[in-house]
Amino acid sequence: MSQSQSQPILALNPPQSSSPTDQKTTPHLLPCRVHLDAPVAQVQSFWAPRQAEDGTSTAYFRGRKLCGKTVKLPKGYRGVVAAKTTASDDDNNTHQHSEDDDDADKPETSSLQVEAEFDDMVIWNHEVAPDVAADPYVRGMEEWLALAGQIHSYPAAAAAEK
Amino acid sequence: MARTRLSSAKGKKGGGTAEKTNTATTTTATKHPLPTESPNPPKVFILPTKATAAARIVTLPNPRYSKPTRYLVCPEAGFFEFTKISAPKTAPRSWLLESASGTVEKPQADEEENPAISSNDGFDVHITKGAELYVASPLDPLFLLLPALAAGAGQESKSTQASKKRLFLFSDDHFDALSRSTNHVSEILTWPDLRLSLELRMAAVCDTVDAGDEQMFRLNESKLLDEILTKARRMAEHAFPKSMEEKFVSKALEAPILGIRSQPTAVPEPDPATAKSREGSSTPVESADSQSTIPSLATSASSLSEASTPATTASSDSAANADSGDVVNAMSAPEEAIKLQRLRVAFNFICSSYIAPSLAELLKSHCVAAKDKVDFGPLDDYLVKLTKMRNDAAAARTSDYSRKRGMDEEEDERAEKRRKKEEEDKVKKANQSRGVKKLAKVNTTGMKKMSDFFKKK
Repeated sequence: MSQSQSQPILALNPPQSSSPTDQKTTPHLLPCRVHLDAPVAQVQSFWAPRQAEDGTSTAYFRGRKLCGKTVKLPKGYRGVVAAKTTASDDDNNTHQHSEDDDDADKPETSSLQVEAEFDDMVIWNHEVAPDVAADPYVRGMEEWLALAGQIHSYPAAAAAEK
Repeated sequence: MARTRLSSAKGKKGGGTAEKTNTATTTTATKHPLPTESPNPPKVFILPTKATAAARIVTLPNPRYSKPTRYLVCPEAGFFEFTKISAPKTAPRSWLLESASGTVEKPQADEEENPAISSNDGFDVHITKGAELYVASPLDPLFLLLPALAAGAGQESKSTQASKKRLFLFSDDHFDALSRSTNHVSEILTWPDLRLSLELRMAAVCDTVDAGDEQMFRLNESKLLDEILTKARRMAEHAFPKSMEEKFVSKALEAPILGIRSQPTAVPEPDPATAKSREGSSTPVESADSQSTIPSLATSASSLSEASTPATTASSDSAANADSGDVVNAMSAPEEAIKLQRLRVAFNFICSSYIAPSLAELLKSHCVAAKDKVDFGPLDDYLVKLTKMRNDAAAARTSDYSRKRGMDEEEDERAEKRRKKEEEDKVKKANQSRGVKKLAKVNTTGMKKMSDFFKKK
């Protein structure tokens, strides 16, 4: 992530809703790009995945057959869908910058609103089930997290002795 | 890849306002107007569960590149770095964030039972253009501290006294050095637990002196080396992820192929074959140079592992491994060499990802010098043997084509010269005046030469 220095400190706000089931989501990694960043209202008309017994799902998206596989998140991690809370943050960025220059000691604080959480995601591919082991997303999640855990774990007690 | 109707409508709009979107969709006669784009599209994160609600996302200088980078900091769980995973351009992807428990199983009526939630707080189905996934992986704060610990000393020794050693400094001074680039450091240091754990990490790689009731710290490179070697050993103990193991361990230690099963495809066409053999001959020679001296080997290996930041290893290397399927290898690496190679790859990976280049160089030279800590001897022996073998194999392969190529090159050179000369002549001729051209045709056989008039008599 390349950020300018004017990036505010972000807090993660927990979801506002009281009912936990409503905050669950399932991210679907579509094998195509949809040029839209927006909530979609009537999704049923074009997105109706069907799950088979062996864990793979099938869906037809704009006439193309997609096969999906559900992938669980690694242990100790949770998925979060979050968005910045400020309404028009892109416009604000330049504004914030000037503020920061004036008052460098007080870092900007802002927050990310957690909109939903998830425990698994579905990876989709055209026609055939995706090769989950080779998928960059899965590898980034599972392989990298395991490796990073080995690199960066440090014994707190041993450090205290030294 | 399929462009959806959504995308074509968006294309017409060309990044305009919401009203424009609507006009565009009406002209394409879609039944449903496109929803307005949200200015802050939701992002998909994978966060550690142990991070508490007090965790903050802050900007801190990256330990290797020292440019501001986002980190997740939790007072209890510690530091986490974000790794962005995005789809390659060749295989575009998007997120479809489904609401609640799926769209099929959950009919409309279900939502109407609690309309307040579904209208206000419930998570709607979202579509995002980009398919970024931000993974927060644990990060040892030691690496974040290193630039501050190392940098202060480096500047001093450059400017004033070259021989002067690093000074003992209070932790505050070290933290100050960090907060020079970003003011977020001071903010997170107000958390007492975090400050304590940072000081502990500092103490792990520093010589300490008690000054009153506070401690002073000075970076000790040998302690730092120990610390990193411990990390590298831990990485090497567990097997690497499969892709990493294949690329940097099996591939690097693989002996040349004895069976010439891959050759026939190359023989009929001389051009690719020569190119191939040229490649084959040049790379082993290079590696032979670098492997003869150990420190430079370390750098060459690091450049290898530098290319292996998790994002890139995740991309693809199956093609590289494809051809090693049914061929006979000359020898197999001994177990010890494999282990050492793993350790070296791990060490270089840490150095190239989390440690500033200058300090990493220093550490590598320390690592080579410190034979008692880690001895790469058996691995180096094996590598020397391997290089020789590879050279022999490459020489055997290249001998046929190299001579031909040499001639080609010479011929090319000659042709090039001729062409140049011709061009020059052409230019000269074009610049001559008509008079000069005509005079050149005159028969001068009976005439005296001009130089005759100037001879001594």
